[in-house]
Amino acid sequence: MIPEIGYFSLVLAMGLSLLLCIFPLWGAYTGNLRLMRAAPSLAVGQCLFVLFSFAILIYVTLTDDFTVAYVAHHSSTTLPWYYKVTSTWGGHEGAILLWLVMQSSWTALVALMSNSLPWVLRARVLGVLGFLGVGFMLYTLWMSSPFERLLPYYPVEGRDLNPLLQDPGMIIHPPLLYMGYVGLSVSFAFAIAALLTGKLDNTWAKWSRPWTMVAWGFLTLGITIGSWWAYAELGWGGWWFWDPVENASLMPWLVATALLHSLAVTEKRGVFKSWTVLLAITAFSLCLLGTFIVRSGIIVSVHAFATDPDRGLYILSFLGVVVGGSLALYAMRVSEVYSEGRYKFASREVTLWANNIFLVVATLIVLLGTLLPMIHKELGLGTISIGVPFFNQMFSILVVPFALLLGIAPMMRWKQNQLPPMVKKWGGMLVLALALTALWLLPNYEYVAPMTFISTALAVWITLGTLLDIFDKAPAQDSFANGLKRLGLSYWAMVLGHIGIAFVIASVTLTSAYSVERSVSMKPGDVAQLNEYSYRFDGVKEIRGPNYSGHAGVVTVLKDDKFIVELYAEKRLYDIGMQFMTEAAIDDGFFRDLYLALGEQLSEGAWSLRIYHKPYVRWMWLGGILISLAGFMVVADKRYRRRKIKGAVA
Amino acid sequence: MRILTLLFLSILSFSAYSAQDEYEFANAERAATFKALTQELRCPKCQNQNIADSDAIVAKDLRDKVLMLVNEGKSKQEVIDYMIDRYGYFVHYQPPVTPATIVLWVLPVLIVIIGFGFIVFRQKKASKKQKWNAQDEEKLAQLIKQYQRQEHNS
Amino acid sequence: MNKKLLGFIPFLIFIFLCVFLYQGLFGNPRELQTGRIGQTMPSFVLPDLMDESKQWRDTDLKGDVYLLNVWGTWCPTCIAELGYLTELREHGVRIIGLYYEQAYDPDFGDQFDINALRNEVQNMLDRAGNPYQFNILDLDRTLALDLGVSGAPETFLVDANGTILLHHTGDINPRVWRAKFAPVMQELSE
Repeated sequence: MIPEIGYFSLVLAMGLSLLLCIFPLWGAYTGNLRLMRAAPSLAVGQCLFVLFSFAILIYVTLTDDFTVAYVAHHSSTTLPWYYKVTSTWGGHEGAILLWLVMQSSWTALVALMSNSLPWVLRARVLGVLGFLGVGFMLYTLWMSSPFERLLPYYPVEGRDLNPLLQDPGMIIHPPLLYMGYVGLSVSFAFAIAALLTGKLDNTWAKWSRPWTMVAWGFLTLGITIGSWWAYAELGWGGWWFWDPVENASLMPWLVATALLHSLAVTEKRGVFKSWTVLLAITAFSLCLLGTFIVRSGIIVSVHAFATDPDRGLYILSFLGVVVGGSLALYAMRVSEVYSEGRYKFASREVTLWANNIFLVVATLIVLLGTLLPMIHKELGLGTISIGVPFFNQMFSILVVPFALLLGIAPMMRWKQNQLPPMVKKWGGMLVLALALTALWLLPNYEYVAPMTFISTALAVWITLGTLLDIFDKAPAQDSFANGLKRLGLSYWAMVLGHIGIAFVIASVTLTSAYSVERSVSMKPGDVAQLNEYSYRFDGVKEIRGPNYSGHAGVVTVLKDDKFIVELYAEKRLYDIGMQFMTEAAIDDGFFRDLYLALGEQLSEGAWSLRIYHKPYVRWMWLGGILISLAGFMVVADKRYRRRKIKGAVA
Repeated sequence: MRILTLLFLSILSFSAYSAQDEYEFANAERAATFKALTQELRCPKCQNQNIADSDAIVAKDLRDKVLMLVNEGKSKQEVIDYMIDRYGYFVHYQPPVTPATIVLWVLPVLIVIIGFGFIVFRQKKASKKQKWNAQDEEKLAQLIKQYQRQEHNS
Repeated sequence: MNKKLLGFIPFLIFIFLCVFLYQGLFGNPRELQTGRIGQTMPSFVLPDLMDESKQWRDTDLKGDVYLLNVWGTWCPTCIAELGYLTELREHGVRIIGLYYEQAYDPDFGDQFDINALRNEVQNMLDRAGNPYQFNILDLDRTLALDLGVSGAPETFLVDANGTILLHHTGDINPRVWRAKFAPVMQELSE
């Protein structure tokens, strides 16, 4: 009975969403205020029903109701309660319901926070969001319901959640990622509403920006956590594989980053309008494309969900309607958009334009690399693979002009700049960056490859440029400290974001160049040397967890005979699925990680082990957190708070 | 006392057995080549994994073959060619450069050129609109004088 | 006017992309094109599965068109296709088996028991049908690697001169035979 209520709640939600899609859009078209005013309450209503449906799915999972097929396939009685909750999004149907939760919540949030938006715009934004909601709800109800039943013969025990997913990473990674993806649909909705209304002015840019930044912040965090999770969970010390599913999350992120910067230009200078709108449409389109790629079976990936050509066809049709429709609308309305702006070549406008070009090229590289094998095969040209070597090669080239520009961009003023004195400053910065990099790397590493040196220098360059700009802009009449305060949250967010990127570049470069790994077989008492660390194998002990058993390899790590840490690397056998899983042991540090994974049991009491020394690997996730923090900081800026006060008075 | 402890510890470290590396190479260069190859070659049977990470039988066979070839002194490209001969281009994560795949490298460069070209073109157009030269300056001065004369006379 | 035309470019690119995405839904992303197609069967010397005194060479296989079927008793799909392959044998198709041993791992200290394997194979073929003229034992999977085999069942279509014409991964059933093998067999018989 209860699962059926969950399904029915979704039906009601869809009904309200349908009205949300039709009434306000029709009302905006005909100027009917009554119809437009219906939007906010419809938005909140559909959200409540979706949340209720989701609550029911959680309830049936927590109560081990195995008459529900989804629960039987993705949960078990042996699962700890927090992983039971996580299992609600561990499989395809539940994950789509999680997406719906995000979609309807963002829609409701926009409805509640858009009081000072003119009704025509507000109705259109909510109408578009409603349309997107309908699309996903129809899909869920028709083809992908998590409430399907296994009556009359249902199992006594579930199949258990895939052991790889029984990890804290699974608890936060998908929700954060979905928050990001769905948040970009708000940006998309604003763009469509603006195109429909024919008004692409400062207002639209001002409104879009905070929503875009928050969505982007969540997406950054989601990707960062995903990378960290893969590292901690998979046992190979890898943190990015350029897998199609990873690429599906990176592409919207790259375009959203371009969008952020383009929105800043449009908001402040009124130029790049048609470009910014196109980016807003493209960012969300890539989210939908990503969903299609991951769930349709057209690519091969360990992350891909179980597939079904019918589902793939629905998602493709939805993608076609939403993206095709919005691009057609764009084509028809773009000629009416007029940007009248004067700026010289040496200006912040052009610098940000260059930023956009590089980010779009990066997106193109990822898109081509992901889809070309499929296209190549369909054209009958044979099967090829595009992976790590290609993407690394292209990105290591692209990062050079991108990072060079990033170091100097904050110093560029709007409209025009006198270059000669600035170029002198940059020359000094370059020398300093190279010197600092040399000081950092040469004493510590025997061999520094040219590319390693250059990339690290780029990270230092970005940091120097950012700090120098603070010193340039902060001085005030009273004190330096007051000058810093006066810079505003927006500025500090930019500083944080750019330094975050520097951390990521440095980390990726150095950990790729200087990570050391040894695959060894050891008997208790054996010692393996890795750089200055000695790993002593102290044998193996048996372990028992809530739903698994197995072995833990105990290794004591010493540095110059001084005790550093004792590591427990586990090899678990999960009771129900009878699947093996390695739990790597990590000693995390700011400057390096020590990583250990237990392999197979060999003859005569020996075990195979993989030991790693990974310098600076944490910096990439630190960088990612700084970047997402930057996104959230911007919305805390004064100018967005002022609007709320205005709304309260009105 | 300290000296005794140090002596004791150093004896211990000498007597501790060293771990056996799974793969042994004649030199560091070969070890690096092997590592690079196992990360660049794709497991033909798996769901997008390189042969280093995969547990599949075919991945293990390929690793063993790569080890053998590297220890024979073959270069990285020779090993890659050996594998492509048998398993096709699919087995290498770097695509071949053919007329069909050239777009991977050409298109990004093209977009950079078009992107910068666009902004340069826009600058030229904008500056053309605002061309004001010495001739126009003279003409304006004449017109002003004319107007002033008219004002004076009227 | 210029802007209007430019504005349609994203739309056109998207439609172009959708065509490929649609096609992708009906393809099989796991199907590969391996390297030996069009080349001659690589040279090898391997024993017969049932009689170790008998050694098979690539030269022995020449002279007639044949299917080289890679299989093992550990592989359920291989067992499933034995029936249809036996039918093909009865229709005059020459099928040679390449036994792909998967369980034996010398590093692990496994003891390989050839007699147990022979019994298992004989039982299997007696039950499900025997399509094979004979079986070649590829214990160390050396020929398999040389051919670009990644698992079982896989089948190669080789002509009388030893040129490899087809490499099919997966089982052979009436549909696959009609679509892939029959046209080539037809051409060869002409």
